[in-house]
Amino acid sequence: MKIAISSEGTDLKAQVGHRFGVSPYLIIADLGTGNFEAVPNPGSLGQHGTGVQTIVLIISKDVKAALTGYCSPAARRHLEVNGIEIFTGLSGTVGEVLESYKKGEIKKAEAAKIENEPVKRVVDRAIFIHAMKRSVNQFASMLPIFLGVVLLIGLLNTFVSRNFLAALFSGNVVLDTFLGAFFGSILAGNPINSYVIGGELLQYGVSLFTVTALIITWVTVGLVQLPVEIAALGRRFALLRNGICFILSIPIAIITVFIVNLVTR
Amino acid sequence: MISVNRESAQQTKGKKALARMFIFPVCVLVCYGMLCAIDPNKALMALKASGNVLLYVALPLAFVFMVMLILNLFVNPAQIARLFGKVANIKGIALSLVAGIISMGPIYAWYPLLKNLREKGAGTGPIAIFLYSRAVKPFLLPVMIAYFGWVYVVILTLLIVSASIAIGCFMSVFMKE
Repeated sequence: MKIAISSEGTDLKAQVGHRFGVSPYLIIADLGTGNFEAVPNPGSLGQHGTGVQTIVLIISKDVKAALTGYCSPAARRHLEVNGIEIFTGLSGTVGEVLESYKKGEIKKAEAAKIENEPVKRVVDRAIFIHAMKRSVNQFASMLPIFLGVVLLIGLLNTFVSRNFLAALFSGNVVLDTFLGAFFGSILAGNPINSYVIGGELLQYGVSLFTVTALIITWVTVGLVQLPVEIAALGRRFALLRNGICFILSIPIAIITVFIVNLVTR
Repeated sequence: MISVNRESAQQTKGKKALARMFIFPVCVLVCYGMLCAIDPNKALMALKASGNVLLYVALPLAFVFMVMLILNLFVNPAQIARLFGKVANIKGIALSLVAGIISMGPIYAWYPLLKNLREKGAGTGPIAIFLYSRAVKPFLLPVMIAYFGWVYVVILTLLIVSASIAIGCFMSVFMKE
């Protein structure tokens, strides 16, 4: 059985981390073999979404119990939903806490309180506030680029003529769809920008084939992210996947527009 | 000492990420500034055109926020991680599809998790399905519908879902699993 202890350092002499989500390290100890490893805590970055990455990390390490000084109600709920016991109110060195746990001296004192109805309501409210904060952060993080795109569209509306775009796109379905797929592959960012750009391009008379291919490859093909994908999933996987996705985007765009025309006719 | 250095490195990283987010809009604003100096009337026309686009997407954006909130209330990345596995049957395909569709945030944030799952034995098929089905964005559907209409969105969504399954199968075959 594996347990995770929040820690200020990388060894058993380090102090137990005061807050589970933001302590610099997590010591993952295997009670069966006696081995342990120090893993940098993604939550210590203090950035949006990193707290949840801490939870994902310990789930992926097959941890059954988490020991710490303090754990937020939202994190506690996520851990318990995933079958991980949480023990709080702990201090001292990681080694001392580990020994106490092995001897069965640590009790789930805090957990008992959550079972009481009034506290449960507070937890639910905390989850709502957490979700609201997360949504506001996600929304706010997409706004700067989105507003930049909207302002750029204003400039394009003023300076780019229909004739220019007509000259850029030949009118050949396959070639224009290919061009749309190409632009979608080299551009990156939140897909909402591809919808706004695509919608405005339609107003300029650019074909729906081109716009559809752009929307599809915007998310599914990532030339900008390719080095990261290669590093994470391997060169063969990344090149093959992006290649197939690019090629497939062209027939999908053509079929989509064909069916839409058929249905709306 | 290690933790102090680490904390400072993380803060620098966070600031850099924040700064990167503003590079593009600031560049566009600089263009507006230059245009305003050269031809104020054209700058005003461009601003009005941008205002019209913003008005058009204002209501769909409000729906986007509501759907984001609902997804954040009921779905978390920990659950998404559990949806993956080495299951090569219909259930495995369906779980990867659902995981891809409900996942939010930039793709590069998901690569470390995908790498971890791959190392733990998750198949290339489910990972390819996850990456492709991310093209279906439930929380952005209001904006997409506002621009392209219901019929287009439904048809494209169905085709993307079908294509993600096809790509999962292709990848499993080509990667010789």
